[in-house]
Amino acid sequence: MPMDRYADMEDKLRILEDLNMMYIRQIALSLQDSDIQKKIDHEIRMRDGACKLLAACSQRDQALEAAKSLLTCNTRIMAYMSELQRMKEAQVMQRVARRSDGTRSSDAGPMDDRLPCKSKVAISDLRIPLMWKDTEYFKNKGELHRCAVFCLLQVGGEIHDTDMVMVDRTLTDICFDNTIVFSEASPGFELRVELYSCCSEEDYSAGSAPRKLASKLSSSLGRSAGKKLRVAMDPGACSPTSHGGAATLLLPGPAVAGPKYHLLAHTSLSLSHVQDSFRTHDLSISGNEECSYWVPLYGSACCRLAAQPHCMTQQMMSGCLKVKQLGGDPQSWTNVYGVLKGTNLFCYHRQEDMEANVEPAFTIAINKETRIRASEKDPHSKAQSICISNQYGGEEVTHTLSADSREETHRWMEAFWQQFYDMSQWKQCCDDLMKIELPSPRKPAIVTSKQGSLYHEIVIDTSDDISTVTDILTRQMQELELRSQLGTSPPWMSLFEESPGGPRTPRLARHSPRSPHRLPHSPLSSLRCPWPGLLSSDASLTSDSDSPCSTSPCSRHRGWAEPLSLSSPRFRHRGWAEPLSLSSPRFRPRTLSLDAKLSTLRGRGYGGVLQCSCQPPSSSSLAPIPAQCVPQATLSCSSSTSSNSSSEGSHSPSSLDGTPFSRPSSARRSLMNLRAKLDPRNWLQSQV
Amino acid sequence: MSFIPGQPVTAVVLHFQLSCALQQRIEICKLRQGEHLILGFSIGGGIDQDPGQNPFSEDKSDKGIYVTRVTPGGPAEVAGLMMGDKVMQVNGWDMTMVTHDQARKRLTKKNEDIVRLLVTRKSLEQAVRHSMM
Repeated sequence: MPMDRYADMEDKLRILEDLNMMYIRQIALSLQDSDIQKKIDHEIRMRDGACKLLAACSQRDQALEAAKSLLTCNTRIMAYMSELQRMKEAQVMQRVARRSDGTRSSDAGPMDDRLPCKSKVAISDLRIPLMWKDTEYFKNKGELHRCAVFCLLQVGGEIHDTDMVMVDRTLTDICFDNTIVFSEASPGFELRVELYSCCSEEDYSAGSAPRKLASKLSSSLGRSAGKKLRVAMDPGACSPTSHGGAATLLLPGPAVAGPKYHLLAHTSLSLSHVQDSFRTHDLSISGNEECSYWVPLYGSACCRLAAQPHCMTQQMMSGCLKVKQLGGDPQSWTNVYGVLKGTNLFCYHRQEDMEANVEPAFTIAINKETRIRASEKDPHSKAQSICISNQYGGEEVTHTLSADSREETHRWMEAFWQQFYDMSQWKQCCDDLMKIELPSPRKPAIVTSKQGSLYHEIVIDTSDDISTVTDILTRQMQELELRSQLGTSPPWMSLFEESPGGPRTPRLARHSPRSPHRLPHSPLSSLRCPWPGLLSSDASLTSDSDSPCSTSPCSRHRGWAEPLSLSSPRFRHRGWAEPLSLSSPRFRPRTLSLDAKLSTLRGRGYGGVLQCSCQPPSSSSLAPIPAQCVPQATLSCSSSTSSNSSSEGSHSPSSLDGTPFSRPSSARRSLMNLRAKLDPRNWLQSQV
Repeated sequence: MSFIPGQPVTAVVLHFQLSCALQQRIEICKLRQGEHLILGFSIGGGIDQDPGQNPFSEDKSDKGIYVTRVTPGGPAEVAGLMMGDKVMQVNGWDMTMVTHDQARKRLTKKNEDIVRLLVTRKSLEQAVRHSMM
């Protein structure tokens, strides 16, 4: 029975739709506006195509794209429809007013009001920062939870959408590279930015949709239910309720099974947000963590919103003029061809010069500071002349313009007034011409390696000069001295103290107590090995081998059975460059950052190095490192990599030094204090 | 030298601390080391980081980008950058509302040899006062 009702309801919907279209067509006809009619028809055809595609496609990506097109088409149709409604209403109101007045009052009035010029408005480099919880970064659930997001941008009747971006927790920002240009915007424009998202893991089988549909349609298709239905079926539609009572009538298209985008956040930008640089704007977020389409937004969006009013880019007025500078010879009139554009009146010797792009003879500034007035001062001609005064430096310079006839002069004055009016309306857009880069032809999207997280791609710009590493290590050792003064030392230190022979665990081999005192300098020159630990454990290594570690040292020395795979861990270590600044008496995990640094330098050939470092030593004689070593989620290599790692692998290369530590001086102590605060476990730092 | 920015000072001085801040324009020429261009300093902060851990900021909810370390003799030190400076802009790009990674990326663009930073620094007077303590 429910299926019958569902089919019934579907039929009813279709009939309503057809009625809708007839209604719309009638309106368009009566308005004799075929332009919008054509646009609506076009969008409807697009929508039908998207629906068919959605029904036909099997791949998720295709489905998401088709759903996005569907949403955009629907929104455009709604916008056109409401535009038609408005026009129809305006026409009706006019007619009513005319009839009641008996006069053609609609003709008068607007002539006196000035209309500001339109403008090109461009929004580009839209970037929305995300704020994942620490735990999100390092959950190793296997499949990433992904959402597809895109933005819908609307100015008046123009609606554009950005490309779709897949968001998962490896992304720190959602970046839309598109530049969207709206061609005719008025000064009071409102650019509505809406962010839609859709979870990309739902099952879109046709089976689920009719059930949902049936349950929603089971309530009568009255006004409120209709509204709810609309929201459920097409949540992207911009509030049709603003169009008054006819809202329910303007139903969106047919319900299609497939991915549904939901509104995640929105904001409105206007003239006050226009600037030639990037600005941050607040987002109003709808939805919460429980929604399937949730993406943790930081709450703001950055973008560059630029506007090029036509008064700045187009010639507003041009014609022949005679110009004289005040204070000069009364007879020194110069014949020029003047062009009013932007904040300047360019004066060319001849019209041909302007067309040939020759530099103008001179330029008179027309900006907010300029004062223009008409004067009758010139006794030689009956025509009015126009005086333009500017302040150049501390001086006031006045130019007098004279046109051929009174009408010409009037037209020039009119043009100047219009220019001033435009500048007052467009405010900061008229200070300087803002650059708008037209979107270039589509470049193929750069495929990022799916190696995993963003952190894999971090290149740490440091030299691979071993001496830098040496410096770092020397400092490190000094820090270690300070630290020991506080009385604690990592438990593994005891291993060195107790048994100098030391269990030759793979990890500890690096810190072989055989050469506890040797500074890293010497082995470096001989080894040229990227591993910091290896640098210090000279004895063990050099005795083992003589070749530099051009191959992965792990496989050679450590004899770990597990193959070194570059594909995991998803999380490699962030590029801290405060790697060796020791912190408080807590344990400092191994210089993951230094490893990362050095391994990325070798072009990831040593990706395995990192993994090795996190692997537990094969021998369990290593004292279990207390959980302190992994205090924050920002850090834990272990939690994200092999699930079998028991120890956190938290050796720091400073452990090479087994000598008793000297007392730090007070200067060092304060420095140490600062270093303590700069613990990268608490607060990420990067070297540039 | 015992000057440590961010280190709490006695109450008397604290009042002066909060008022003055210099804005400096610093031009750093990147140094080529191997196949990398380095600037010679480290940054911390970002809107995705915990601002309470920033030892340099006055306001512990400031999520801006701060200079945490300047490599001695490096290009940044030569240009006059100091530890504790807050980076406001890099070559015109805003740095007050960026994630940590975005900040790092803006500094390490491979096609730029020179970066012009706009930084805010706590006043010289305060720095001098610090160093005398």
